[in-house]
Amino acid sequence: MTQLRIRQAFLTSLAVLLTVGLVWAESARAATPLDRAIAADNQGKSNLTVVPVIDDLAYLRRVTVDLIGRIPTDKEIQQYLRWSPSERRGKVVDKLMDDARFADRWTVFFADMLRIRTRATGGQQLLAYVHKAVRDDKPYDELAHELISANGKSSVTPAVGFVLGDNAEPMALAGATAQTFMGIRIACAECHDHPFDEWTQKQFYGFAAYFGKTRRVQSRFSRSIYTTEGKEMTVLWPPERQKPESRSPVEPKFPFELISYKQTPSHIARLEAKRRAIAAREAGKVSAEAGVDIDDLVDSANATVDRKRGDFDVAAEAKRDLRKINTQADLYTESQLRQRLAELVTDPRNRYFSQSFVNRVWNEMMGRGFVNPIDDFSNENPPSHPKALAHLADEFIASGYSLKSLVKLIVTSDTYSRGHLSADVSNKVRMASENAFTATPIRRMISEVLYDSVVVAGHLEELKWNKGENVRTFRERIRVIIGEEKVENEPEAPKLPASVTGATGDNAMANKMANGQKPGKGYDLEKSVEIDFDKALMAKDDEPQIQMMAVKSKEQIEAERMAAEAAMRRQRTRYQYTYKWREYQRDDNPQYGTSMRMATPAPRPHFLRVFGQPGREELGDFREHAPSMRQALMMLNGKLTHEASRVGTLEPMHRLMVGPKANLDAAIKLAYREIYTREPNAAEVAEAKAIIKDADSDLEGMADLRWVMLNSHEFRYLP
Amino acid sequence: MSKKNQNGCRGYRMTRRAMIGTTSASILGMHVGNLVARANETGQAKAEHVILFWCGGGMSHIDTWDPKPGRPTQGPFDAIKTSADGVQISSLFPELAKQMHHATLIRSIAGTNGDHGRATYNLQTSYAPSGNLRHPGLGSVVVHEKPRTGDLPAYISISGQAPRAAYLGQKCEAYYVGAPGERDPYLAFPEGITKVRGNKRLEILKKMNSRQANAIGAKDLKANDQAVKDAVGLMRSPALKAFEIDKESPETLGRYGDSDFGRGALLARRLVETGVRFVQVNRGGFDNHGNIETAMTNHGAIMDPALASLVADLNTSGLLKKTMVIVLSEFGRTPRVNNNDGRDHWARVFSSFMAGGGLKGGFVYGSSDEDGASPKDNPVRVPNIHATVLAAMGINPNKEVMTPLERPMKLVDDGEPISALFA
Repeated sequence: MTQLRIRQAFLTSLAVLLTVGLVWAESARAATPLDRAIAADNQGKSNLTVVPVIDDLAYLRRVTVDLIGRIPTDKEIQQYLRWSPSERRGKVVDKLMDDARFADRWTVFFADMLRIRTRATGGQQLLAYVHKAVRDDKPYDELAHELISANGKSSVTPAVGFVLGDNAEPMALAGATAQTFMGIRIACAECHDHPFDEWTQKQFYGFAAYFGKTRRVQSRFSRSIYTTEGKEMTVLWPPERQKPESRSPVEPKFPFELISYKQTPSHIARLEAKRRAIAAREAGKVSAEAGVDIDDLVDSANATVDRKRGDFDVAAEAKRDLRKINTQADLYTESQLRQRLAELVTDPRNRYFSQSFVNRVWNEMMGRGFVNPIDDFSNENPPSHPKALAHLADEFIASGYSLKSLVKLIVTSDTYSRGHLSADVSNKVRMASENAFTATPIRRMISEVLYDSVVVAGHLEELKWNKGENVRTFRERIRVIIGEEKVENEPEAPKLPASVTGATGDNAMANKMANGQKPGKGYDLEKSVEIDFDKALMAKDDEPQIQMMAVKSKEQIEAERMAAEAAMRRQRTRYQYTYKWREYQRDDNPQYGTSMRMATPAPRPHFLRVFGQPGREELGDFREHAPSMRQALMMLNGKLTHEASRVGTLEPMHRLMVGPKANLDAAIKLAYREIYTREPNAAEVAEAKAIIKDADSDLEGMADLRWVMLNSHEFRYLP
Repeated sequence: MSKKNQNGCRGYRMTRRAMIGTTSASILGMHVGNLVARANETGQAKAEHVILFWCGGGMSHIDTWDPKPGRPTQGPFDAIKTSADGVQISSLFPELAKQMHHATLIRSIAGTNGDHGRATYNLQTSYAPSGNLRHPGLGSVVVHEKPRTGDLPAYISISGQAPRAAYLGQKCEAYYVGAPGERDPYLAFPEGITKVRGNKRLEILKKMNSRQANAIGAKDLKANDQAVKDAVGLMRSPALKAFEIDKESPETLGRYGDSDFGRGALLARRLVETGVRFVQVNRGGFDNHGNIETAMTNHGAIMDPALASLVADLNTSGLLKKTMVIVLSEFGRTPRVNNNDGRDHWARVFSSFMAGGGLKGGFVYGSSDEDGASPKDNPVRVPNIHATVLAAMGINPNKEVMTPLERPMKLVDDGEPISALFA
């Protein structure tokens, strides 16, 4: 009996089949083509246990976490349960696909994949650009095409952030492009031939040569950074470390094979039909807009762009220069080579392109790829389920490379919906079944999801206390001025040296935290600053500066630079400081935003990084899922969990705890729904009551219960 | 499924392994390996702990450890005599001057990079930055090789970030201490939660978690239980007292100075006393392109009492024998004072202060030319500093570890210990 209760508590998948009435009758629904492909791939494998699909509420929790990156609210649970049992799974998937948070969650996926760092040049714009692409369900091949081929400045062409992320360095980009978009590890071949593998060093150089004419340029005047195309090929053969007498330019060559089909396969035919229909629709739109000229476009931008900047009429300059660029193409030259490369990479006949992406998405939702590590496709490392992988890849292509279609295919399958194996299953069967996807391995929420789930479970996204209910006395050490002196000629305010942030040069938040000059701010490790994605994509008002350069004389530019420097060298006051403790009172009414719009990756000691968000510095810098002591400390003692546990006076929970409508049973059930997305069983209600009654007050007891639940396995690991 | 060749560079590993076995090891690896082995035998490997003061921004070598009195490059500070015969340092360090008979100076570090980011990376990891691989910092390497002693984390970084552990893994990351002397909120129950209540919560959590872990039986859940157990163990450890620097006498606190750097040095001492292997104390603000006199006067006033007290206290307690103290920066600064009364980046030659851990006292290794512009004697490559630290601890700097992509990497980028430094 105890055993059964435990399963009800956590292993909902099995227990609910026996007890509660929320049975998802597997037989009532035909397995999808994906499930059939998985089954076909599993033919002949031994030791497999096929675990039934999980119950409706467990499914709601799993799919909500995977699609919008947080657990469902009680309101969402109620709405879901009001839908008829035969429809609710389909309905909730459609609803979540349209949720604004879908783009937030899947931007995290892309940020990992593309190694987006908001502190890198163009990183913020790249993040915002990807977010918009996910929101609009931009075809993935288009997205990849733009990322691979774009030249220009991030504020104008945000896709260039991908190339800028590796400093437009041909060798790094060759490695990153192959591994990111095709799942092929060719980077090792930069230094040596692979004895037992496909790639030679010469092939690597040929591939790198596609990036060999791209230049990263920093404007001496505006300091802005952009990429453009040079004339010289910088990738030379033989490699420098062989110390050859002379080196010659390498001819770009695509080393990966495209399949040559005798007949157009149906998925490509479907893709082409889809594309033709879209093209026809677009053609209609464009003809309606014919006649737009540059003057109109620039003028129409006036609403957001401040025309006047200093003594220049920026808009006039911009018009002049845009025309010049259109005709002469002297800045931001398009990369012919990378356009060609992008064509080849994104060609539907390039199986690596679609399969490696599908494999990544599968891994994100199933905890394991068909190919592992997810970016190591090779003959020596074949997929575990070739039919299923091919099926998903073909469907992905046919859908017009729609991420949403792909995700939907996965979450509506039985394979996605299976439960976990119980503890008494042998290790052999567990390994075999989980690898075969007939049982779902235990999977932890990723750091952003965990953070946002604590926030939503604890009602921290809105203020849950009345004003003045949380006035506390704070003590902090501050720096106070004890003297001052006038300083002439000091060039710009002293910048924080790279060192205080360590070798990694983390972002401004890290500077703030790491800076010994700001005592008292050492431990704000659970909050961060959000980025406004829309603003990041809005052209800045200093935008036309770079275009203006082209028409200015050298003397003009130099004079402006000197004037700017002189302005920075104005007399400043230098203060002398000492440290002092001060006490102050503040209404500490907690409120937390979503972690998915923060500067990313977060500074290293931050909650998100501690829970495995990758630094994204190098290829293969994947997310960590392993538990650590620091994680435990942050969850046990952190402010986030603490504030989420406390029962705020404005929370629905409060009304069930205090006053005429108080109902402890209902309160406990609400806690279970809000934190575990399920109802408690009788034993759990009794246990919860004992916990609450053991505390000094019911409210404190409820906080204890919620704290324990938030810290428990069942919260952190998906059902 | 558990094939070892799941990662990249398949096959390459084997051939390279074979190659290493026959060639490079016998030339470099064995040589240094022998040296370290000998150091172990002769008792040269004395260091058990390291305290690294990282001075970010590029600390002027001429205004600190390598003064050039009477030369046009002297700058605003005089040279003063020290307790070590014939060794002079800048007048910024009058107290430390009295401890110089315990210290070794290297005055001939030949850096290769004048860019903050790249040089910092190089000085902290011994490697040059590379697009495809990130290398671990010195502290991570040390704790990868030397076991933890006591309850506290083996590697602690104060007032800022230490470099990452990279391929050495999460276990080798530094434990972060934001501000020395301030309570780390994560080491105690949240404000308002009494010990009794907190412990009661932990009891219930333990019960609930083990119930859930027993039902599911996944390794992950057990690992998570272990993490909670470790965390609670640390929260309850008496070793945490090491963080309470206000338990020191006001006299001691005063000696180290009322600054984060001073408190950092004091905390570092207490941590080392508790068994912590590697402490990094960070200080920024050395990128003095202008007004270097004011800036360095301020730095000196803060650093001098802290470093001097630390060396003196470690010596009194006997820990200096086992503890290496290092002051390091990513590069030096230009010999010429610029038009803004500052100095700019200068990597060609710069200096480091070291003391303890089996190093000679009152010793100067290498020199720069008369203007402090280039190395004159015994130029020191950056990896050799790392190799020296490791050798002092009995670690072979040429030992190889595997990256996740199965690429063998040496602990130090071809460094050789500077044997002349050892006492």
